[in-house]
Amino acid sequence: MALLYGLLVGVVMGVLLQRVRASSPGMILSNLRLQNLSIIKFMALTIAVGAVGAYALSLFMPMHFDIKPTYVLGVLGGGLVFGVGFGLGGYCPGTCVVGAGEGRKDALFAILGGIVGAIVFTFAYGALEPILFKPFDLGKITLASVLHLNPVVAAVGLAAVFIGAIALMPTERGAPPARDRG
Amino acid sequence: MAETVAARPVAAEQLAVRAPRWAVLGVLFGLLSVAAIALYGPIGVSTTYPRLIGAIMSALAPGAAASNPYITKVGGLLKPETMLVVGLLIGGFLARRLSGEGKAPAMERVHAEERTPARRYLNAFMGGVLIIFGARLAGGCTSGHIISGITQLAISGMLFAAGVFGAGMLTAKLMKGGN
Repeated sequence: MALLYGLLVGVVMGVLLQRVRASSPGMILSNLRLQNLSIIKFMALTIAVGAVGAYALSLFMPMHFDIKPTYVLGVLGGGLVFGVGFGLGGYCPGTCVVGAGEGRKDALFAILGGIVGAIVFTFAYGALEPILFKPFDLGKITLASVLHLNPVVAAVGLAAVFIGAIALMPTERGAPPARDRG
Repeated sequence: MAETVAARPVAAEQLAVRAPRWAVLGVLFGLLSVAAIALYGPIGVSTTYPRLIGAIMSALAPGAAASNPYITKVGGLLKPETMLVVGLLIGGFLARRLSGEGKAPAMERVHAEERTPARRYLNAFMGGVLIIFGARLAGGCTSGHIISGITQLAISGMLFAAGVFGAGMLTAKLMKGGN
């Protein structure tokens, strides 16, 4: 059943990411160059709705939460490497698959690169684990555990900050950010 | 009859003015992420890439796959996340077909230096290498760490997002735009 849920969530997620133009590298670069903030606002609102929704729902039913550990060197270092790749190619691991479904040829090259990156990492993991995974591992910490807050209260607080930040961002100019070629 | 037909597009237009597209889609994606956590677990994409490598290795060189610590750590492909990635492909196809936008561009020139298609494809490829290597180093990507992670209030997601947007914005600034 979980496999079917995964497939359905993926289809809907693919449609939403395509509709918001997150699978367009031109749109991603416009956001990273701060010329258009619609994807940043979309992500912030997704998180705000998700945090309040998930923790509110957890009061009524069991939830499959899965908190990732904060091993500072790997998480921050990985984020920096990811950011360079995101700025260079304009794709993330999910949006390149959506883009490939749309028929974007550069998305196929991003997926191919991802496969190569996965091969390199698979063989580098043994050497990297003691240097980047083991030291400074703070465990599965959350905003609620660090601030000693009830998770629902922390979720509402985070959502308020994110929605406040969205409200302060300038509205989009109408023009499409990057010219399609191809 | 004619009146109702005429009234509908006006109402839709007014709604579109009040709620921008990113806001409607953001609320829907937030609800979808809650649904995933309620049904099976938080959404995530990037682990599927090394799982695919593991599956190929297990078929070609079972001994090497079994002795690789990362392949044994990520496990097999029979996971909801794998199905999610298949769903993304279908969703992208459906959304493009049903939207009436027409054919997707083969590529978009996002940097000034992308003067030839080959250069654009090389950047997309190199970007792909770095996002998966970085995501695996961090233990998640835009979906697993940023969307699902921060949704669950994880500090790791916030730290990863700071790295991604810091390096991403700097890279985008240093490389001139492609318009």
